[in-house]
Amino acid sequence: MGEVSRLLADYGPAFWQALLLTWKLTVVSFVPGVMLGTVVAVLRLMPLPPLRMALTVYVEIFRNIPSVALLIFIVFALPDLNIVIDYEPSVILTLTLVCSAFTADYLRSGINTIPGSQIEAALSLGMRPLQIVSAVVLPQAMRSVVQPMTSLLIALMLSTSLASQLPFPGRELTALVSKIANDSALGIAAFAVAATMYVVTGLLIAWAGAALEKKVRILR
Amino acid sequence: MSRSLEDILFAAPGPQARAVTNAVSAIAAAVLLLLAVAIVFRFHSAGQLDAPYWEFFAWPTTWSFLAKGLLGTLASSAMAAVISLALGLVLLLGRLSRLRLMRWPSIAVIEFLRGTPTLLLIYVCFLVLPSVGIKLSTYWMLTLPIGLSTAAVVAEVYRAGVLAVPRGQTDAARSLGLTEVQVFFFVVFPQALRYIVPALVAQLVIVVKDTTFGYVVTYGELMQNAKVLIANYHSLVPVYLVVAALYCLVNYAISKASQRLGRPMH
Repeated sequence: MGEVSRLLADYGPAFWQALLLTWKLTVVSFVPGVMLGTVVAVLRLMPLPPLRMALTVYVEIFRNIPSVALLIFIVFALPDLNIVIDYEPSVILTLTLVCSAFTADYLRSGINTIPGSQIEAALSLGMRPLQIVSAVVLPQAMRSVVQPMTSLLIALMLSTSLASQLPFPGRELTALVSKIANDSALGIAAFAVAATMYVVTGLLIAWAGAALEKKVRILR
Repeated sequence: MSRSLEDILFAAPGPQARAVTNAVSAIAAAVLLLLAVAIVFRFHSAGQLDAPYWEFFAWPTTWSFLAKGLLGTLASSAMAAVISLALGLVLLLGRLSRLRLMRWPSIAVIEFLRGTPTLLLIYVCFLVLPSVGIKLSTYWMLTLPIGLSTAAVVAEVYRAGVLAVPRGQTDAARSLGLTEVQVFFFVVFPQALRYIVPALVAQLVIVVKDTTFGYVVTYGELMQNAKVLIANYHSLVPVYLVVAALYCLVNYAISKASQRLGRPMH
């Protein structure tokens, strides 16, 4: 306990900043990731074989590639192709791409839970396919994916630890712990504090997700 | 499940709709083709298609080195998977226990391991443990943190499966006179496993991804070996592309296998 209080006296503000940076990276990659993923999921429903094929490849690539490998590629390999992206946007881009692929995949399984009879009913009412997608399919799919999306958000929050692999000026939690462990003998205390911050953030997200799920779930 | 949703959605297009669809398809194909050409051109103009960047892929030594890396990845993943499947079951039993003394610590361990980034756990094994006198080999510095954090997730996956088994199964088994332990291991858990095979295998994909952190502790897995190749041949883009493709293929194969395992149930 003595160690933790000494650590907080020395690094308290640094931890606070690190936590804020972790949150910021999470939010700015989750929001565009979800939007992009929704667009991909909808486009994959369209009867356009070339587009479907390309988007399936897109989803499979970014779902299966390790985030670190993608990050390293963006940061170190793209400059050789004359595309230079700064460190922080690279992290955000990596997480956004990965998030969009998973979102598209989860929405797909959400869409699969919708009984085909509903589509037939909507068609027989004279609704057009795009109307059905926006008024029947998407709302139900969105409601049924709250749980996996909550897990995705938590996973994304944990993945922001990737940023510790890059020499960015701002340090998020994992980078801060590795710096403290290198500089001093307070490694375990630093780990405990950072782990607590991660766990509490994750629990908050899980709690919010569960509350939302309870509100919007469809009882069948 | 006969027809997929989009087949119903676009089941009977009229002649006009069909014409529009075909036109848009053609445009989409053209745009995608253009995109591909633009990417290749970008490679060409940056000189990345030049022979020195690619020729060592014709040498068997390169591939055997990459294969060695892949083997390292698989060795670490397999051990982490075994650890997590076993420890996950232990955590699950603790989590479901009626005794608070068992349940609460299990919940704490699960939430702690699940809520902490694997990379942070790796840093602890790599930077912090040696300073208190615990020395692990690079293999264990990578495998142990991955196994631990996956175990917590696996415990929750198991639990989701157990909760998905209809209550009637438990009631029926209990009314046949099976003990609680028998009900769990012979009735509930086997059925739960079937529900969660896809989720478990998806978890294996995450394990394989996590082993990418091997380069942090310089364990010889695929990513680390890629770095060595790059240092030798100064060929960043091709090596990273090939390695990324290898990872995608391995993980894609695992996901496909999981889907096949999940299918006969429906």
